Amino acid sequence: MVELRAQELEILALLAESPEDVTVEELTRKGKLADAAVMRTALTLQEKGLVKIYAKTETILKLNTEGKLHAERGLPERRLINALNAMGRKATLSEAAEKAGLDEQFARIALSWILRKKWAIYDSKANVLQASSTPTEGSDEKLLNSLKGREQVAIGELNPESQDAVVMLKKRQLLTMEEKTQRTLAVTAAGKQAVQAGQKAAAEVVTQLTPELIITGKWRSVKLQRYNIEAPVAKTWPGKKHPYLSFLEEVHAKLVALGFKEMVGTSVETSFFNFDALFTPQDHPAREEVGIYFVKEPEFGDISAYEAAVANVKATHENGWTTGSTGWGYQYSVQEAKRLILRGHGTCLSARTLLSEKLEVPSKYFSIARCYRPEVVDKTHLSEFNQVEGIVVDESLTLRDLLGVLAKFALEIAGADKVRFKPDYFPFTEPSVELSAYKEGYGWVEFGGSGIFRPEVTLPLGVKVPVIAWGLGVDRLFMMRASVDDIRAIFSQDLDWLRRKQVI
Amino acid sequence: MPTIDVDYAEFERLLGVAVQGDMVKLDEILAFVKSEVKLYDKQEGVLSIEIKDTSRADLWSAEGLARALRGFLNIAKGSKHYSVGEPIVDVHVDARLRSIRPFMGCAVVKNVVLTDAIIRGLMHLQDKLDQTYGRSRRKTSIGLYEFGLIEPPLNYTVAKPDGISFVPLGFEDELSLAEILERHPKGIEYGHIVKRHSVYPIILDAKGKPLSFPPIINSNDLGRVTAETRHVLVEVTGTVRETVLNTLKLVAMALIDRGGEAYAATVHYPPEYADVAPAEDVTPDFGSKRMELDVDYANRILGLRLTGKRIAELLLTAGLDVEGVTAKSVSVLVPCYRVDVMHMVDLVEDVAVAYGYNNIEPLWRELPTTGSERAEQRFINIARELMVGLGYQEVLTYTMTNPDNLFVKMNCEKARIVEIANPKVVTLTCLRSWLLPGLMEFLSRNQSVEFPQRIFELGKVSLLDDTRETRTRDEEWLAAAVSHADAGFSEIKSALDAFFANLGVNWQIKATKHPSFIEGRVGAAVINGENVGVLGEVSPEVLNAWKLENPTAAFEINMQKIIKTK
Repeated sequence: MVELRAQELEILALLAESPEDVTVEELTRKGKLADAAVMRTALTLQEKGLVKIYAKTETILKLNTEGKLHAERGLPERRLINALNAMGRKATLSEAAEKAGLDEQFARIALSWILRKKWAIYDSKANVLQASSTPTEGSDEKLLNSLKGREQVAIGELNPESQDAVVMLKKRQLLTMEEKTQRTLAVTAAGKQAVQAGQKAAAEVVTQLTPELIITGKWRSVKLQRYNIEAPVAKTWPGKKHPYLSFLEEVHAKLVALGFKEMVGTSVETSFFNFDALFTPQDHPAREEVGIYFVKEPEFGDISAYEAAVANVKATHENGWTTGSTGWGYQYSVQEAKRLILRGHGTCLSARTLLSEKLEVPSKYFSIARCYRPEVVDKTHLSEFNQVEGIVVDESLTLRDLLGVLAKFALEIAGADKVRFKPDYFPFTEPSVELSAYKEGYGWVEFGGSGIFRPEVTLPLGVKVPVIAWGLGVDRLFMMRASVDDIRAIFSQDLDWLRRKQVI
Repeated sequence: MPTIDVDYAEFERLLGVAVQGDMVKLDEILAFVKSEVKLYDKQEGVLSIEIKDTSRADLWSAEGLARALRGFLNIAKGSKHYSVGEPIVDVHVDARLRSIRPFMGCAVVKNVVLTDAIIRGLMHLQDKLDQTYGRSRRKTSIGLYEFGLIEPPLNYTVAKPDGISFVPLGFEDELSLAEILERHPKGIEYGHIVKRHSVYPIILDAKGKPLSFPPIINSNDLGRVTAETRHVLVEVTGTVRETVLNTLKLVAMALIDRGGEAYAATVHYPPEYADVAPAEDVTPDFGSKRMELDVDYANRILGLRLTGKRIAELLLTAGLDVEGVTAKSVSVLVPCYRVDVMHMVDLVEDVAVAYGYNNIEPLWRELPTTGSERAEQRFINIARELMVGLGYQEVLTYTMTNPDNLFVKMNCEKARIVEIANPKVVTLTCLRSWLLPGLMEFLSRNQSVEFPQRIFELGKVSLLDDTRETRTRDEEWLAAAVSHADAGFSEIKSALDAFFANLGVNWQIKATKHPSFIEGRVGAAVINGENVGVLGEVSPEVLNAWKLENPTAAFEINMQKIIKTK
């Protein structure tokens, strides 16, 4: 004969008393037991062949807040038609809505449904609503009524005519549907026998080890219940860092280890540093409304601290100044240089650094900056993105060093397998290089641009040695590393995704 | 970046290389001129090619690309030569244009063979030049005419808005200049360029017949080129003489490429122009520009050891001409259409491209520099770790948002913030001035995800600040929110207390009022008498606005102020 614990016996007895199969919930109620405990006990009873567990998956309907409100007061269109009929079948929309006690939002909903259900005609010019019938209770209302005051209802409990109504209310976002598994227990013949045989509980079986048992030493004389360790448990969601920000932290640390110093600045920048100091002419298309965000108020910033540099930049744009360039040949406006924008690239930080008195030679600087451009958001574009910007300043630098930095970046930081370089164009670098990197299973990705700053950039800022510069889309580096193919995943608003995302 | 559409078969013929529809191969070829295939419509046989170089206007046509690539494809080295005959047209420029649209260039190209497809290509080039190189016609605009209908000399002069009328292209009735700005689609589009002036530019022929109202629209009678046209008059007007002349050259070259012979025009500028233009400007001038390229200079930039002779070869491959070579320098003739060459360094890049970027060995050199991170950054990372330890999931939200999210849904008065003058979409019109609205939005999107939900964000907010150069400052702030059936003040206070305690920060809480939080359940976090943030239970009004169904408690603190105390 099998040995049964007190709780097992209790459940078995409850089951045997009951004329039909019993759900776990009912059992919990009857036995005043904890849900998890019942399930665990039921599983051990099943192992012993005394009960059988049937699982049935059902779709459960629940009214949401708005649904509950309508169940209580009636659908807005019903309230509106009732009000209208009470007012002699004809009234203006706002009067009828007021009588029905509908606020503006619900009045709109009521109007659209009353028309769709053809309960009334609406003359939008005169703003008059004319009732066309006294409608009987619709299937959606019947369903709403039957759900009134109930927390949840299984779809199977509803009569078949209600199915359409379910779809209707779901579309109106008045109810939610979820799958729920209902477990039912039935006692087996062997189980009944065990109860009839008046099985006595094996003495002193304990589920929970308590402080009392430990302190008094009583634990020695009791038997600790065996658990079904395979039974499912509740999920734990630990707090975690955001995967993309962790990646940026890593990039940050690597650059510091490679001898780079960090540059910082504000999201709002003057056009002088974002464009002019970078030899981008004031009528360049990138400076038009489609290329950059302008600040509404105030429109202009202050560049008075850089008077000498502004004069040099002005001369360079107009006629090349002493840089050996022809310049762009137009009339430069200092006022335009003050215009405030949201920085379009991190390169403005490099321009500030080059102008700074603290600039060291040799030196390496970097920044990870949030940048902004008026893009339409899609799979590969965001209107704000992060750029890793870097410069290296030294007498000895050549194009080979630039390629070396780019390769280091792609291979070591993005985890790419190989790199490729292509000619590129920026108004501020020459030569300019585009970096593409390849990763097995991901393909070739363009990471962004780089180059050696033009003399028209460095000389007006007072720098007489070569400066290599790169601005890479760090978002794309992350996408390659994390094998994500939609850039929007970076700013994912999906908590479930964040919770399930592995940390390595 | 300009994107041009070219006829695939025509382009392949001009290129002289059988690409056979292999777009990877075509991309490799186009890379030499910083271009790539954006789209290949096989059905229509049309290639869309993006050209990254915004200053190489010579590339914005099928002919231009083919011309630039022939050296790289080993078809011909050096530049392509263009010549122009003696002037056959005189143009007189009115002094009053000096402050309106001062410059003009003009040419006649005879015996051109045009087809509808070629005209489409020409119009496409004209449009690209007008839009990009001509900055949407502000800087330059182009007009093409049937030469036979025009009686030279031309007068580039001004007229009052109602002083002259003609039938604009595509219309049947005569309109005055003012009416053109009101009613013609081009007038509506480009009218802003001339509207602020009391008189408008106009081009007339010897009989006083209007050719064009630049930069708006040509005459319907004279300003139309068809497949029957054999002799074409081209004019370009604009505000920068060099750009005007460059544009004229590029259009004339495209017509010469179609079998035409070019003849010059003499543009006569009045004495008032003495400081900005010669009295007689013969246009177009296809002469090249001489530049000396220093061999050492090139090698110092490239990190290579190329001889003068090798550099000369590479320049020829890149489509430039070489007049002479010594060990020290190369005399380069830059063809007239290479309008992008401003400095010797531009030639160095051409050398590098012809040499092949991927043939240059990358070099990683350990420079004696010490990396450093800002102390602030370290502190921020520690703060994030603490929040994670407290069981909060880090989230990342956009810094761009809208006042409805920042204020209305938070039950707050609207404050001054960094707003954008030209938003692209109505939901992204400003920078955030605090973080909590972003967390509320995040929670509202996750109502079906398992509770309890605990989230935080440490990030930048942007605030107006008249004392700064950019009239703004960015600050690092931290916000956290907890949302579940039993969430409340004590949970969030306990979390903030643990956060401060582990940072060794001594803080007090003071009762306060905040419209986003429930009265009597909200406090100000105070450090050394200074207010650093707020914590409390979010008010049901705010929960409703965000459609949150669970009680939610939150805090938001200014990390900048806390970093300052450390």
